[in-house]
Amino acid sequence: MPRRILYLMLLAVLWPSAYADTMLHAHSAWVREAPPGASVLAAYLTIENQGDKTETLVGVSSSDFAGGEIHVTKIENGTASMTHLTGMTIPAHGRQVLAPGGTHLMLMRPRRTLHAGDNVNLRLRFKSGKTLSIPAAVMRTESAPDHQH
Amino acid sequence: MNQRQFSLSVLLAVILLFMVTAFFLPKPALDKTGMTLISRNQEIGKFELRDQHQQVFDPARLRGKWSLLFFGYTHCPDICPTAMATLKQVHARMGLNNRNTQYVFVSLDPERDTPAILEKYTGYFDPEFIGVSGGHGELGKLTKSLGVYYQRGASAGGSGGYAVDHSAAIFLIDPQARLHALFSAPQDAERMAQQLRSLENS
Repeated sequence: MPRRILYLMLLAVLWPSAYADTMLHAHSAWVREAPPGASVLAAYLTIENQGDKTETLVGVSSSDFAGGEIHVTKIENGTASMTHLTGMTIPAHGRQVLAPGGTHLMLMRPRRTLHAGDNVNLRLRFKSGKTLSIPAAVMRTESAPDHQH
Repeated sequence: MNQRQFSLSVLLAVILLFMVTAFFLPKPALDKTGMTLISRNQEIGKFELRDQHQQVFDPARLRGKWSLLFFGYTHCPDICPTAMATLKQVHARMGLNNRNTQYVFVSLDPERDTPAILEKYTGYFDPEFIGVSGGHGELGKLTKSLGVYYQRGASAGGSGGYAVDHSAAIFLIDPQARLHALFSAPQDAERMAQQLRSLENS
């Protein structure tokens, strides 16, 4: 009898893993407020992969922008360069933190002027076919969550 | 092991951990704040750019004031606004020193960054900031004399148009229009303001 209860408890614990969506999360998303007339804005966020398989982010879109891409800023020998990435992997049981000065989502051609305090919706597409839809707050650099100063 | 011995060993372990941590932590007093002193004796060579009001910006505009120069382009969504926001914070921390300090954004992308766009861009960060650009010949004279590297279209791709590779540092020019120092990325506004105040007041 106690063994049966144990099996039931084990099942209860493992049950949520049958739903893949609960294994992939994105949070702390924000879009940097840009000067008026800017045609490109950067978005930053954290993606957590609690699943057993590597996930690869392959696309980003938003109803507030005409386009979106994954870009990475690299500083080598004092020179900054920006490269377009076709995918960004999030290891199994790992996370990727996108912050200023590194990998970012480049949102292009805003459909409206965005000010600090506004919210936009980001839709993330993964190679596995999964999608995540998350809200992102428009913020100034100095009030962003990952700004250390 | 009785309870007293156990508590003692836990205490010792905690003390040891603190000592090891303190040993490996960076020492703030020895921190060089990311500033590299250059103190060149020679004035920057001739160049002629235009500011956001279409006024001439040449070596004469650098004389009589300390100048902080950042080289970038407005279609740069990550590193450029980060550096500009840092300059905005430096400006806010400099107080009275701002009377003899100017903040200049040099666009390396004159094809897209017209004076009107530069006015909006620099004005967004601070109305006192200056935005300048010009032909690549004139830009080259300034960048070469400072050792600033830039190259259009060397990276990015995708549908976001071309990118411009550029130096990530902020350059400090002294009131005799000579390169004095550079601040490597990522810059820290508080430490930059401290360094600048002590330089300018000495």
